[in-house]
Amino acid sequence: MVGVRLGVDIGGTFTDIVLSEPEGATRRLKVLSTPDDYSRGILDGISRALTQAGADPAAVADLVHATTVATNTILEQKGARTALVTTRGFRDVLEMRRLRIPVLYDLQYRKPPPLVPRRLRFEVTGRLGPSGAEWEPLDTADLARVVAQVAEAGVESVAVSLLHSYADPAHEARVVAALREALPAEIFVCPSSEILPEIREYERTSTAVVNAYVGPVVARYMAALEAGLTARGIAGEVHIMLSNGGVMGVGAARRKPAYLVESGPAAGVIASARAARAAGHDNVISFDMGGTTAKAAMIEGGRVAKTTEYEVGAGINLSAKLVKGGGYPVKLPFVDVSEIGAGGGSLVRVDDGGRITVGPESAGADPGPVCYGRGGTAATLTDALVTLGYINPVAIADGAIRLDAAAARAAIERQVARPLAMPAQAAAHGVLALACATMTRAVKAVSTYRGRDPRDFTLMAFGGNGPVVAVEVARALAMRRVLVPPAPGVFSAVGLLYSDLEHELTRTVLGRWAAPTPGELDAVYGAMADEARAIVGGAGTVFERAAELRYRGQAYELPVSLAPGPPDLAALQRAFADEHERTYGYRSDDEPIELVNLKLVARRPVGGAPTRPAISGGGEGEGKGEGASREVYFGPDGGVHRTPLGGRGLLAAGPREGPLVIEEPDATCVVPPGSRARLDDAGNIDIEIDMTEHA
Amino acid sequence: MAETDPITFEVVRNALASIADEMALIVMRSAVSPVVRDTMDYSTALCDGDGRIIAQGLTLAVQLGAFPYIMDVIREKHADDAQPGDVFIANDPYGSGGQHLPDIYIIKPIFADGVRCGYAATMAHHCDVGGIAPGSVALHATDIHQEGLRLPLLKLYEAGRANDTLFQVIERNTRLPGQVLGDIQAQLAACRAAERGLLELHRRHGAARLELYLTALQDEAERRMRAAIRSIPDGAYRFTDWIDGVGEPPQPLAIAVTVTVADDEVTVDFAGTSAQIDAAINCPIAMSRSATFCAIRCLGAEDIPNAEGYMRPVTVKAPAGTILNPLPPAACGARGVIGYRVFDAIMGALAEVVPERVIAGGEGGPTLFSVGGTHEGRQYVLTEVLVSTWGARAGLDGLDGVSNPAANLSNYPVELVEAEMPLKVTRYGLVPDSGGAGRRRGGLAAERAFEFLGDKSEFTLRTDRRDHPPYGIAGGAPGGASANSFTPAAGVERGLPTMPMQSFIARRGDCVSLVSAGGGGYGEPYEREPERVLDDVLEGRVSPGAAAEHYGVVLDAAGTAVNAAATRHRRARRAAE
Repeated sequence: MVGVRLGVDIGGTFTDIVLSEPEGATRRLKVLSTPDDYSRGILDGISRALTQAGADPAAVADLVHATTVATNTILEQKGARTALVTTRGFRDVLEMRRLRIPVLYDLQYRKPPPLVPRRLRFEVTGRLGPSGAEWEPLDTADLARVVAQVAEAGVESVAVSLLHSYADPAHEARVVAALREALPAEIFVCPSSEILPEIREYERTSTAVVNAYVGPVVARYMAALEAGLTARGIAGEVHIMLSNGGVMGVGAARRKPAYLVESGPAAGVIASARAARAAGHDNVISFDMGGTTAKAAMIEGGRVAKTTEYEVGAGINLSAKLVKGGGYPVKLPFVDVSEIGAGGGSLVRVDDGGRITVGPESAGADPGPVCYGRGGTAATLTDALVTLGYINPVAIADGAIRLDAAAARAAIERQVARPLAMPAQAAAHGVLALACATMTRAVKAVSTYRGRDPRDFTLMAFGGNGPVVAVEVARALAMRRVLVPPAPGVFSAVGLLYSDLEHELTRTVLGRWAAPTPGELDAVYGAMADEARAIVGGAGTVFERAAELRYRGQAYELPVSLAPGPPDLAALQRAFADEHERTYGYRSDDEPIELVNLKLVARRPVGGAPTRPAISGGGEGEGKGEGASREVYFGPDGGVHRTPLGGRGLLAAGPREGPLVIEEPDATCVVPPGSRARLDDAGNIDIEIDMTEHA
Repeated sequence: MAETDPITFEVVRNALASIADEMALIVMRSAVSPVVRDTMDYSTALCDGDGRIIAQGLTLAVQLGAFPYIMDVIREKHADDAQPGDVFIANDPYGSGGQHLPDIYIIKPIFADGVRCGYAATMAHHCDVGGIAPGSVALHATDIHQEGLRLPLLKLYEAGRANDTLFQVIERNTRLPGQVLGDIQAQLAACRAAERGLLELHRRHGAARLELYLTALQDEAERRMRAAIRSIPDGAYRFTDWIDGVGEPPQPLAIAVTVTVADDEVTVDFAGTSAQIDAAINCPIAMSRSATFCAIRCLGAEDIPNAEGYMRPVTVKAPAGTILNPLPPAACGARGVIGYRVFDAIMGALAEVVPERVIAGGEGGPTLFSVGGTHEGRQYVLTEVLVSTWGARAGLDGLDGVSNPAANLSNYPVELVEAEMPLKVTRYGLVPDSGGAGRRRGGLAAERAFEFLGDKSEFTLRTDRRDHPPYGIAGGAPGGASANSFTPAAGVERGLPTMPMQSFIARRGDCVSLVSAGGGGYGEPYEREPERVLDDVLEGRVSPGAAAEHYGVVLDAAGTAVNAAATRHRRARRAAE
């Protein structure tokens, strides 16, 4: 594809825009987000980026967009007025959930309200059994009555979820047809069998309800964005990043908006996978730390680890996979991102009992850390980092944000050091150590919890604060190498330009065959490929085949990839037993292994060929001059060092031993003593950590 | 916290919690029985080298509080001969810290450089350990020898070698050996993960330093619990809650409690509680104490460390020979109803002095419905642990569609029940007008109803709170009573006892309906904001008739708005009476 490409990543505070020109030059721009109407900020930002680049709007070939619109709709409970049509006797399934709540010993707990209130949940007579057999026909008269009630209820959206529709969607299809006939065309209707044809009624119903609830809001957002682009003369294709790291066209995204809920975090992981592979690293843990949270994900053998266990709006909970009930389940493919409430803005608190915590509450961007001088009075992690000298005491972001180091130090002194009876520097380093301990839990949740040893992985650090703390986090996990990509602060937006058009399909085949032949398996994969091709389209589509298996009786499957060639059940079962042993530490060779799902991912590079946006490091020591340095405290083991400062240019002449601080407009990278940094061919800062010193 | 620094303290606490959660996740994902993998009836904890709990997974409160008892037994019997590669197993309530026979402990001592530095502890409710009825929770057992396989504290592995004899004994004493052995494997996998995690922590901090922090953790838990107790005015607070009793007509059983608060310590004394009975609801002391700790713990802040130091200021006295401390050979398979009621009784006692910190009576513990038989040549057992509702709180309505606060159980998806068993679920939902009226309303009861599709199925049942519905607080009304019924394919519906002293045979087409009790209310119902009552009516939680009768709220003819004048009039008339 020839033309300008745009990546747009919306965050709560900033919108990052990356513009890539055909000749390889890439520009980046950070603009304030406009929460009242996010498309306004995006459109203005795009115009500015095009002007700066001197590019013609008509030259824009495509725009890839990561959006928080679906997530925010749920967090703010501002979705469409939605109805649910379900099987008679089961309208409370949505509200009763799986009963568990995410806390113990809390008698004041409040459950998240159902997205569809009880008065808008309608029951229809008719019943299927588990194999899809009709136990009771769908009652036509009753259906007509329900459809009339829905029509009268004044809803914008309807989810339809009948028992066992995963086995046979026929009843749901009739309900949908009746609704479509009776309701105005603009009403969003979502059958559960279309969005998630899988067993377990609560999860399927919840997924359909989330899809219906956000559907009209996402559709309006897309329409406003497209109209705005057209008005600015931009006619390129618009793609939306999905939670699984692929992208969809706007049309598909409108029909299945539940696929978008983790759009933003996925982009950074995809970028990590690509950048790491380019630098020759196949096993990577991505580590993205911004102002509010830190997020980790695992990339193994170049593949991004995925999950279908996700709850939207559950807040940040390390045990989210274990303790459910805090949010709204969406059982669709997600990049497995573990998120915890530790970011630059995380508040540091010492309670009356002398217990110290960092996060999860955050000062956010407004008022922000004390050192921003915008009215923040509560000490934050950033204030501790400024006190230590990790972050520039005068200004960051090329001087755009002035910092008040004295105020940061005073806050740490008063709020942390004094109550704990510690020197200010030691207290500040303690805050960092504690934040790192919390962040290691995010890394463990995607690695050791899957039976993987983090020591076998490289940590890819980005986000505004990731490169500041990356070496400390890596060291706590005995990881030996950290990579910091170019432009780490807008790395997620860069990742959008790396993404492929992708569609993932699942077929539940449990119980279909006693022992399928390669031909039978091929037939299913072939049908899935045809369906996926229709969505992803065009030449150059590649397919990845996988299967999910389990020991008979287990509720959770493990995925294995298929080798090229005819699919072989025995080989799949062997691969499953190996994976089970790796994940849980044992295998049961006498137990029957069930083939549960076949999966197919169809992938086509956007524009037909992969592009590698090259971004210059930027800020090569400007304004700092040769020999710039400042004092940095690296904790009781590292001590105080006069530490050289500069841009990536510091490493131009070859590898250097820490300590070093590399300051760039969008992020700061700290290379502590006992580690060694160099620039690799792709421009990544490659940091090797000497483990012997801090064993 | 002398000699320790607060930063490392938090770092260690964080790491320990992470290990216990990882254990729980591994059990959930690799277990094979529905009661473990879907209902999540299991718990995980990590102990130090002396067997003191230092972390617990986010699992079942009422199981977690029992770990100290099995650890006492291990300390007593194997303080010297535990060696690397050992794994302990036990389920016996008499002498081995068990709660009832289906709950099997799997515990692995952990050694660093040859020195014992911890234990990984797990407990899971196994789907069947033999006995007179499928599921091993038959209420009509009158003696523990009818309840299935009893395992005193034994070594399942010794120095890394599996005890094959014991494995064979277990295999032959369950109706579902595949599921039981599979779940034991899941427990073992969790223990191995804990071992890796704890050894890593040792490597990083060193034994001596870690020990210092583990001690600090216990002290911190104790200090915080003491502070919470100190905030309750001193005094002795009494309450008696009632179990309906077994058979038909039942004889009520008392759970009498006196909670005595003296400065920063509390004594919970169950003197006056009914004597043990010849039915399987006797509650072994491990669970009685565990439920007590859970209730007292709920009065403290949520962030008390999950270390057993929090139990130190709490003394539990349960007279031997009562339903809360039975003597062998009392049967106890269905003891949960009594254990969970301990929680309710303590809440009832403390409502007198700190009503804003307690909760009105909830459903009273899970309804236990266990059904089994042979279908298409294969044995099956379904153990349904039905939980549903909380009583109201001072500022909040009771929750519905939720697990008992002393548990944290999940439900078994309807589609899986139907896919795996010869059963049809005919209804699963909330029951209108079952929440106790109050300024804050109790949570609604839940109904789950089944049709039997197999030629012949056998089921047992344990429920409660038909004759003694969940109490309200501060003028709140009790919740709705439970109701359970059986309808033969060709016949009329008849009520089932709450605690039938028999199992039942069901044939194809027979139906059973289980309706739990609703939560108790909090505060005067006539003080409930009319708009909230209207919302309850629109949501189908309260009928218009009940709105008028219980809340004095009159709606307009269409039932969509409050008739303010009529409501004022009705409420004033009541006030004048």
